[in-house]
Amino acid sequence: MLAAGSKRQFIYIAALVVVAIVIGIWEPHALVYGVQRGSLYAVIALPLALILGILGVLNLAHGEFLTVGLYASYILFNNFGTDPLRATIPVTLILAAIGIAVYLLTVKHVLKAGHLSQLLITFGISLVLSELIKSIYTTQPRSVFTTYSYSSTTVAGVRFGTYEFLYLLVAVAVLVSLQLFLKKTRLGQATFAVGQNPRGAAIVGINVSFVYLFVFGLSIAIVGLASAIMVPRVAIFPGAGTPYTMKSFALSAMAGLGNLNGILLAGLTLGIFEAVVNAIPGGSGWSDVVFFGVLIVVIMTRAIREGRR
Amino acid sequence: MEELYKREDDLTVKRISLVSVVLLIVMTMSVVGFTAEPIKFGAVNPLGDITGFQTTRAMELAIKEINEAGGLLGRPVELIVVDDEMRPEIGAAAIDRLATVDHVDFFVGGMGSGVHLAQVPTLKKYEKITVWMGGASHQIELAVGPDADWYFHLHPWDYQQGASYGQGWTDIAQAHPEISASRIFLAHEEGAFGTDSYKAYVTLAEAAAEGEGPYGQILNEFAGASFTSALLGGGDYRAMLRQAMTYDPDLFIWAGYDADAVPMVAQVMELGFEPPLYVGAPPGWPADFGKNPLSNGVILYGMWAPALKEVSPVSEHFWNEYIKMHGHEPATYFAPLGYTNIMFIAEAIKAAGTLEKDALIEAMRTIEYESPIGAVLKIAPSNIISNQGFTSQKILQYINGEQHVIWPFDYATSEIKYPFGR
Repeated sequence: MLAAGSKRQFIYIAALVVVAIVIGIWEPHALVYGVQRGSLYAVIALPLALILGILGVLNLAHGEFLTVGLYASYILFNNFGTDPLRATIPVTLILAAIGIAVYLLTVKHVLKAGHLSQLLITFGISLVLSELIKSIYTTQPRSVFTTYSYSSTTVAGVRFGTYEFLYLLVAVAVLVSLQLFLKKTRLGQATFAVGQNPRGAAIVGINVSFVYLFVFGLSIAIVGLASAIMVPRVAIFPGAGTPYTMKSFALSAMAGLGNLNGILLAGLTLGIFEAVVNAIPGGSGWSDVVFFGVLIVVIMTRAIREGRR
Repeated sequence: MEELYKREDDLTVKRISLVSVVLLIVMTMSVVGFTAEPIKFGAVNPLGDITGFQTTRAMELAIKEINEAGGLLGRPVELIVVDDEMRPEIGAAAIDRLATVDHVDFFVGGMGSGVHLAQVPTLKKYEKITVWMGGASHQIELAVGPDADWYFHLHPWDYQQGASYGQGWTDIAQAHPEISASRIFLAHEEGAFGTDSYKAYVTLAEAAAEGEGPYGQILNEFAGASFTSALLGGGDYRAMLRQAMTYDPDLFIWAGYDADAVPMVAQVMELGFEPPLYVGAPPGWPADFGKNPLSNGVILYGMWAPALKEVSPVSEHFWNEYIKMHGHEPATYFAPLGYTNIMFIAEAIKAAGTLEKDALIEAMRTIEYESPIGAVLKIAPSNIISNQGFTSQKILQYINGEQHVIWPFDYATSEIKYPFGR
């Protein structure tokens, strides 16, 4: 459904727009919240999809890196008075450095060891990160409060918060930047080649090890960027990022390996569905069921279609 | 002659050796502080959580004060703490370890109900005097049963807490006719904690409809909605808050976790929702919540507030000594409750004059202890167990960054800030 074929994608986007219009007429807040949240899911999922697509590693510590980014933003805010949006660049760089260090110390050594070893090592990294945070900060939540992050506006009698539209802007910006990088730069083209065929890339002289290192660092940097923009809106505690690992994996699975555009569409789809369910009285307990139910339907549909070819 | 000298030399050497050995023993005894065996308190606390962390620090303060005052019954006191990691199986194993390895005299401490439920069968194995400060679920007293005279429980049970809130709002409404709590909306997290809270409120509302129960005089209408807690991957409350706005309650109350506190009140602000009374009922609050400008006017339920030091000398003493010893302020009521846990037993031991079990149990049932919590601890039966301590919580409010007691009026440190709106 979300495969990279442009005609199919166009049809899907058209269908999504129609559904969005219907939802917007029925419950405009659900549409707004869905687009906002879905964009956040997409910007967090893009780096996981990048690592999965290029390195072939499912990073089970993805959510914990997000948590580290939240705490980095908190430290800058609480100890140095740095506004979260200003902290975006330093947090991104800090996470990039952490990502590179973790890769060199751990992930690099299991790239040829098989998927189970890779899962285990990233799972171990997630435990180490979360326990380290817990031992320093305990489980008591922290927060970064800014008045602008809860500002709102009213359009056509509908009042809604404005800050979370930043997620949509950042998601589009990251997606466009990644596409430009992969298609228009030498390193990006090398990255694309490594993702397609690492052996072939090595044969033609591409430094595969460097590409892996770069992609891992870049991905964790994007996670840092996501954490910096979401920090004024979320509670910061050792398990804050954990739920996003599964959601990111779900979006990657829904979009299909290598389909970065599909991640944004998948995020918006699932975000809107989730918001619609939450808008129904008594529906909040069903939002996860719907989230993963839609995922299952999409994956099965694709599997059946591919089976018929 | 030579033999005589040799015999005398041998005797002298033996005497010197004997004296040396005696001197060595005496010196060793004084170096290792050879005294009576300490009285041991075995605590099981969640050290990775702020509640367990500060409970332990407060217990350490109590132990220090007791030892500085000469100990109990001529013996020093000692605290042994095991981390339950908020996991039932580890909490239960901790009881075994404290009993069989550390040979403690008392079991104390605790926070979570789930952990304590798992500990009850193990506690029953040993039947040591247990003065447990944590766990609010009435399932615990069902598990303990009515015959455990060795079991003392300090934290109010859930039904006692609910009753105290109703009494509190009734008293406040009577004292302030402009304040109404007749239309209540409960937002609850969709897990066991929130769902149980919702069910409890439904029961209270049904009783109130008959003019009965703690809300009988004030509550006319009740509704609720669930949300996914931030702790469990949620954190977007806007859909639920819009339902609450439509309902237009006098009192909006949310039952979730500490991670929900800031995002919830911030999204309330974002939506322009201004319930006259905004109440949060999580088990704990985030660090520095009071410093957040959004906290102003937020009402909460708890057993203690820092402002109590202004009206209670015992609270003031605890506050000052805790900071002096540990370099940080107590931030949760589990701190003064932990101090109370140890001091209550100490007072009972002094009153009984012995560690003999029956005499101690009798002393514990008799004494009254003025606690830094801001209440007098007096043991009485609850629904099932014979030895229940505190039976109510307090209604508190954040006012200009500080937590104040607004009810019970005996311990009030401020008038209520009403209405909540910005």
